[in-house]
Amino acid sequence: MSSPENPKPPLAAGTLAEPTMNPTPSDSTPPVSRRQFLRDGLRAAGVAGLGGVAGLGAARTGAREYYWQIDPDKCVRCGRCATECVLQQSAVKCVHAYAICGYCELCTGYFNPEPNALNTGAENQLCPTSAIRRTFIEDPYYEYTIDEQLCIGCGKCVEGCSRFGNGSLYLQVRHDRCLNCNECAIARVCAGDAFRRVPVDQPYLLRTAPPAH
Amino acid sequence: MTVFSRRPGFGAQPPQTNPFAYDVSRHSRVDPALVHFSLVQQFRGPAGARRLAVGPDQCLYIAAGTSVHLYDAQGRPLGLKSLNAEAHAVAMAGDGSLYVGLRDRVAVFAPNASRAVVWASPGERTWISGVAAGKNDVFAADSGNRVVLRYDRSGKLVGRIGGRDTERNVPGLVLPSPFLDVELHPDGLLRVNNPGRHRVEAYTVEGDLEVVWGKPTAAIEGFCGCCNPVSLAILPGGDIVTSEKGLPRVKVYSVHGKFQSVVAGPGSFPENARIGAGGIAPNGMRASLDAAADARGRVYVLDTATALIHVFARKPEAAFGRRHAG
Repeated sequence: MSSPENPKPPLAAGTLAEPTMNPTPSDSTPPVSRRQFLRDGLRAAGVAGLGGVAGLGAARTGAREYYWQIDPDKCVRCGRCATECVLQQSAVKCVHAYAICGYCELCTGYFNPEPNALNTGAENQLCPTSAIRRTFIEDPYYEYTIDEQLCIGCGKCVEGCSRFGNGSLYLQVRHDRCLNCNECAIARVCAGDAFRRVPVDQPYLLRTAPPAH
Repeated sequence: MTVFSRRPGFGAQPPQTNPFAYDVSRHSRVDPALVHFSLVQQFRGPAGARRLAVGPDQCLYIAAGTSVHLYDAQGRPLGLKSLNAEAHAVAMAGDGSLYVGLRDRVAVFAPNASRAVVWASPGERTWISGVAAGKNDVFAADSGNRVVLRYDRSGKLVGRIGGRDTERNVPGLVLPSPFLDVELHPDGLLRVNNPGRHRVEAYTVEGDLEVVWGKPTAAIEGFCGCCNPVSLAILPGGDIVTSEKGLPRVKVYSVHGKFQSVVAGPGSFPENARIGAGGIAPNGMRASLDAAADARGRVYVLDTATALIHVFARKPEAAFGRRHAG
């Protein structure tokens, strides 16, 4: 990984160092015995190997400077965040941008497309794990909050909100859970190519304003 | 980002279908028997088009960017009128005066004038998203304050319509997103969409609520999603055209709210349907629809996601059935 601090890419594990042992015979240099040549050669190879390990460590340190994150504008709600994460319960969770939310009575992120009634009955809820709480504010406004312990990151509510509403519900990788795998299992199969690396000091791609109209 | 393909036998194969799919496909298809209009013309409007209106001259006026663009009925551009702010909505009065809703003000072009007079802003939170012009009044739909502003023709603010008022039995407009629209019906009442309640409401110009109709359902006879309809238009006979987002569809209701027919279903606006109401189209606009009707009963539909203007005319057999129905 190249960076201003590390202009040269570190050596990967198992990469051989450039040959540094190239003795040039001269008059001032005593002739090197075969035993001496092999001993020095092994020592140099050991140093080179250590350099490789150090390089690998640097590479891993460099990898920790970036986290995986989902670009909400690219996410197509394919459902793979719920099924592909190496964790038993995905590190991807639904998050809610309250500033964008319309506090709708008929929230299409909360209710299935054809609810029997606008109440909290399980048969009316869209979320397969009932991870969204619906709280009455004042007629006709309701607040919706995500229970992250229950959310599996399936994106079903995100699709409902994005299709009809303001897109205030969206998916993010939660870094208190994410293992930050070098090769993210979800990113490999993400249908929208929405996974990308973000700097650790800006670990979330948050929605703050609704799209223009 | 490198995309790695899965090796055979390594882990589970990616799912071919989404087990968590949000399925509204049943409502994406419209019964052809309900579609009484057919597409007769299509042309590209200006970039950033938001709203459109048909003037008494039967020309099309489109609010886009910081201009109002003028097109003839065949879609040929005829010119534009420039402003110094974003044009959100447009309407033309019978005398040819052009009223343009800016973010928080109304701009007026006198007939044949090239420069506008801008009325004072009623407040910072004002977000005008619809305009209607009558003989004596101009109405501006203010999404920011959830009211319809009533001006006299000189620009004096003379009333606010649709705000919650328990004494007058007005429940109030609910706007999860800024899509309030207003039209002046030939019966003298205003028609205002109330998207959060999935209704169309009729008000007197003094602000009394007279008629309410509409219900929330993804089925064709109602209004789908969290907040629809997003715009209104009036057909020559008085029928009301509604436009919806999410499942982009345009329908016709009688003046009393009885579902009549479909102008166009989601299949006519595939890019709009794909993006969804909460997404951003490549042109930076939210995906929604706006409609206007001309004197011949043709319906012009603006798809903001593509800036395409779709022109629909009633099918001859539908027109025949309609004449002999009652």
